[in-house]
Amino acid sequence: MDNSAIKIATAPLPTRKTLKSRKNIPFQIVRFAVFNIRMLKMVTRAHR
Amino acid sequence: MARIVILGAGISGHTAALHLKRKLKNRHEIVVVSPNSNWNWIPSNIWVGVGKMSKNQVIFPLRPIYKRKGIEFRQAKATALWPEGDENSPQGAVDIVYTDPERLGDEERLTYDFLINATGPKLNFAATPGLGPDGNSLSVCTAQHAEETSKEFDKIVEALKRGERKTLVVGVGHGTCTCEGAAFEYTFNVEHELRERNVRDLAEVVYLTNEYDLGDFGVGGMQFAQRGFVTSSKMWTESLFRERNVRAILGAHVERVDPGVIYYEQLDGTKESLPFDFAMLLPPFRGADLKAFNSSGEDITSELFAPNGFLRVDADYTAKSYDSWTAEDWPKTYQSQSYENLFGIGIAFAPPHPISQPRTSPNGTLIAPAPPRTGMPSGVMGRIVAQSIADRLLSKSDAPLHKASMANMGAACIASAGASLKNGSAAAMTMYPIVPDFKRFPESGRDLKETTGEIGLGAHWTKLLLHYLFIYKAKARPLWFLIPE
Ligand SMILES: Cc1cc2nc3c(=O)[nH]c(=O)nc-3n(C[C@H](O)[C@H](O)[C@H](O)COP(=O)(O)OP(=O)(O)OC[C@H]3O[C@@H](n4cnc5c(N)ncnc54)[C@H](O)[C@@H]3O)c2cc1C
Repeated sequence: MDNSAIKIATAPLPTRKTLKSRKNIPFQIVRFAVFNIRMLKMVTRAHR
Repeated sequence: MARIVILGAGISGHTAALHLKRKLKNRHEIVVVSPNSNWNWIPSNIWVGVGKMSKNQVIFPLRPIYKRKGIEFRQAKATALWPEGDENSPQGAVDIVYTDPERLGDEERLTYDFLINATGPKLNFAATPGLGPDGNSLSVCTAQHAEETSKEFDKIVEALKRGERKTLVVGVGHGTCTCEGAAFEYTFNVEHELRERNVRDLAEVVYLTNEYDLGDFGVGGMQFAQRGFVTSSKMWTESLFRERNVRAILGAHVERVDPGVIYYEQLDGTKESLPFDFAMLLPPFRGADLKAFNSSGEDITSELFAPNGFLRVDADYTAKSYDSWTAEDWPKTYQSQSYENLFGIGIAFAPPHPISQPRTSPNGTLIAPAPPRTGMPSGVMGRIVAQSIADRLLSKSDAPLHKASMANMGAACIASAGASLKNGSAAAMTMYPIVPDFKRFPESGRDLKETTGEIGLGAHWTKLLLHYLFIYKAKARPLWFLIPE
């Protein structure tokens, strides 16, 4: 039986704070920088 | 002067062509054969499919770029390989049929010293009756498909505005599809766009997939270390579905798509139908179905290619159970085992086995996400094969080949979940390695420090940045080669 509906219904919901932080421009600028540095490190190291 | 022929001008083939030209300059001839005159940044087709970008923003003509770089371009489709040559010449050759309107249907046997097969996927809509734009569902696999899909999406929005209820289904159209990540992205872009256009209330959005769990993406899911816990892509994908109120149907093999109804079987063997008003279902992929012949004209297709049409390369293709494969089975150099001047890169090489666990329904139906070969590894393969060929031409003919196994390569995947500079979002994931290696990382097969995931607006900006960066790179603008694959 497909119990995906139950799995989704019981999945954790993000708090209001988390939802806000996902759209908060200054915070997201930092996350943007962090993710891009991480990605750059990965491509330059693992792809050699 | 040697001739290197590259079949396909997609992410892997075009990358290989540019790197080869940069290394070989005018000392050797580089010929690209591709049926389309345009290059397409396929990841952004998702945005074309919801009307956020125009078709022309994701494609550009290849001819001017190749002319500027001194690369030969034949707008044609490869049909057959003659790796040992034919009765007239012992030099390897490939048969091509022109799709160029000026030479439409002309055939040519093109000789080569090195051949790179980068023909990507054949969109196998025929695997499921009624699937695809010529049938009863839509696609975003090409820019043209995406543009047509966006028009259908607009019609649905209009109907919702009139107060009609609509069911929008997004997913995969066969039990053995890959590219679930793209289906996931399109689902959440559709959902986001419905909200942006204030018509979400009357729309039901359904994600229909062959994955056993949400967040599998054909790579067996991912595990992340976050705030002192090991969490999974399953957990946060389920969370996103709950937050955005998207229904999911898992472990499904679509059997048939009739006008307005999808018929599918699930892993427990039950057969269901799903009425829809709008359905974007990705097709399963096959290889380009090239034929191969030896010098006496005998068919050697099954020696060179796997039954799914992908080129066999330096992987371990011994039949094994899912539990007994190892990361070591994955190819490293992408050289054919039969001919050392033949390479297969990007989606065109035959993967040795699935990454995500394959499952079968009680009726014997295989429901198994095929392993994805995304843009980043495809580009890397293009580059390393270009380096290998350049080394063999410029220094020693037996120079060691460059290696880039997907079991030793990381990837960044950014799954768009809504396109807007201020309200957009995406799930940004890094994983290392792409193919899990349980010897090195017994816990989850991947390095928990290097495998990360987060959702936010910043990830959408990254996705947008990559759109512009990769188009810049593909246009071979100044210093293009500094942008890593
Ligand atoms: C909708 C969608 C969204 C995606 N989003 C992402 C994403 O966000 N990130 C990511 O990393 N990956 C993404 N991917 C996957 C990515 O597009 C592929 O990994 C990548 O395009 C593979 O590169 P390739 O060179 O192997 O194939 P392609 O880019 O498909 O290129 C194949 C080339 O071969 C040509 N060709 C076909 N048949 C022949 C023939 N017989 N003879 C000569 N040439 C031929 C084609 O015209 C084309 O030029 C997405 C895929 C889809 C469908």
